[in-house]
Amino acid sequence: MTHELRFESPSFVKRLKGMLGVDFYRLFHTPMYYIFLAIAAIIPAMILGTMGMENPQTGVAAAPLYTNVWHIIAAQKPLYVVSDIAEYANMNMVFIFGGIMVSIFIGHDYKSGYVKQLFTTHAKKIDYMLSKTLACAFAMACMCITYMLGAVSAGLLTGISFEVNVGSLLCALLGKIIMSLGWASLYTFLNIIFRRYFGVSIASSFFFGTGILIIGAAAILGNSSVLNIFLYGSSVYACLTSNLLTVAVCALVSVAWAVIYTLGGTLILSKCDVY
Amino acid sequence: MNAIEIRNLSKSFRGMYAVDHLNMTVPVGAIYGFIGENGSGKSTTEKLICGHLVPEGGEIRLFGRDYTDPGVRVRVGALIENAGCFPGSSVYQNLRMQALNLNLANPDEEIRRVLKIVRMEEHAQLKFRKCSLGMKQRIGIAMALLGDPALLILDEPINGLDTDGMRIMREILVDITSNYGCTVLISSHLLGELEKIATHYGIIRQGRMIMEMSAAELEGRARVFVSLKTKDMAAAKAVLKAKFGDVREEEGYLRVYDVEEPETIVEHLLQNGHAVSEIRRNKIGLEEYYIELMSRKEDA
Repeated sequence: MTHELRFESPSFVKRLKGMLGVDFYRLFHTPMYYIFLAIAAIIPAMILGTMGMENPQTGVAAAPLYTNVWHIIAAQKPLYVVSDIAEYANMNMVFIFGGIMVSIFIGHDYKSGYVKQLFTTHAKKIDYMLSKTLACAFAMACMCITYMLGAVSAGLLTGISFEVNVGSLLCALLGKIIMSLGWASLYTFLNIIFRRYFGVSIASSFFFGTGILIIGAAAILGNSSVLNIFLYGSSVYACLTSNLLTVAVCALVSVAWAVIYTLGGTLILSKCDVY
Repeated sequence: MNAIEIRNLSKSFRGMYAVDHLNMTVPVGAIYGFIGENGSGKSTTEKLICGHLVPEGGEIRLFGRDYTDPGVRVRVGALIENAGCFPGSSVYQNLRMQALNLNLANPDEEIRRVLKIVRMEEHAQLKFRKCSLGMKQRIGIAMALLGDPALLILDEPINGLDTDGMRIMREILVDITSNYGCTVLISSHLLGELEKIATHYGIIRQGRMIMEMSAAELEGRARVFVSLKTKDMAAAKAVLKAKFGDVREEEGYLRVYDVEEPETIVEHLLQNGHAVSEIRRNKIGLEEYYIELMSRKEDA
């Protein structure tokens, strides 16, 4: 190769394309991604498959947690105050596993030192934030889909009711998938803050992913729709009574938080040492 | 135009300057040996140039442009501390990711090219974690070489390598500069190895550049000395010291500094009844020059 001293600045699109190329290549070539997809499918299937089983000591069957398959995908109505596990344990759980996956994904960038390769070349800090957010949002959206497939398969095997308003179900599913973007940006941001502490970044992602802060706030404020402005609030809002407005709210909240967290993460990376 | 031009660069950690108003000039096409003791600020300087650390003050220009300009950054390759590869991925996969990041038009062709340069064609499918230290260093250089870099920054690339590994690495570096025209900034503790390839040197101490020179200038500045052996070294040393001044006993030899003609020494020793069994004219190397320079600085 001939060596010329010519310097052409790659455009933002070209830079982002390169970075996305790296992240998606890595995502599809890492077993972790497929393991998390499988976990997302197994969990609802396991819950549906084991509920109502007989207690071997008493011989009495426990009351089933769900009477309808779609209840494990989304709650019947938006309930921010959680009173029983069936209201809590639905597709929103994907955002907890997703947080762990994002932490491992980004943590490896720092642990391996690969981040040095990225930032030595033309990559800007915002390219990194955007690319990680988009790749992880895609991974979490895929986890939502495998979660649904797992729930449907288990529902078919256990013979639970599939009765639902299809429009509302689609809006709820779409809303939750759209929320992946906001959640991915939060986890990317948390992992940038705790980039030197792998364990802390996983713990923080898990903590925020559970939505415990919003559940706590709801216990004080009541079941207020104001909570929809938060990621967990909007994720709960995407329920089986959803409509197009729900999808719009989810999109707005998800994009708004993604912008905030991406800019926040970019600022931190620009002002602080990379590692 | 210089490949690297640094003015008043500063960086501190917990109130202590790691790089203290550093100035540095690396000409285009040079192999610049960056020398300094542990903690002198070599790695910090390199990380600042690579954009891994945020400087507190000063200016870094690469090929006349601001060092953050993506146009110039895209042509910088680095091996800082480690290769920066994913241990669970193969050599090829790691290179492929970097090729994607750089948006290379023919990634496979380019990967083959750099693997050939670092003599790793046979090991493309090997998992990075299974590579030896020498192989990992070479993969790090291959990563840095992707995308036709104009500037390579290598932090201690030969440390920990065995003799053969060092020879291979030296040949690779010479190949890169002579055939691909890269400017190379290389830091190392192994001054003997550095001396074999460097065209320019920069000596850093406590975060400050204390000297920059070309290899030709080092040659001019390096003191000449005559080393010799006699039967009675102590007596001969006293005799020589009286006439020539700077005489030291090192590694079993007497060294008489700043004397160009060995004949005058032999004649003087014979006149004083000392036969010379071995004699050789020398010039101090980079390592000795560095040690002498450091001890002068400490004295000052």
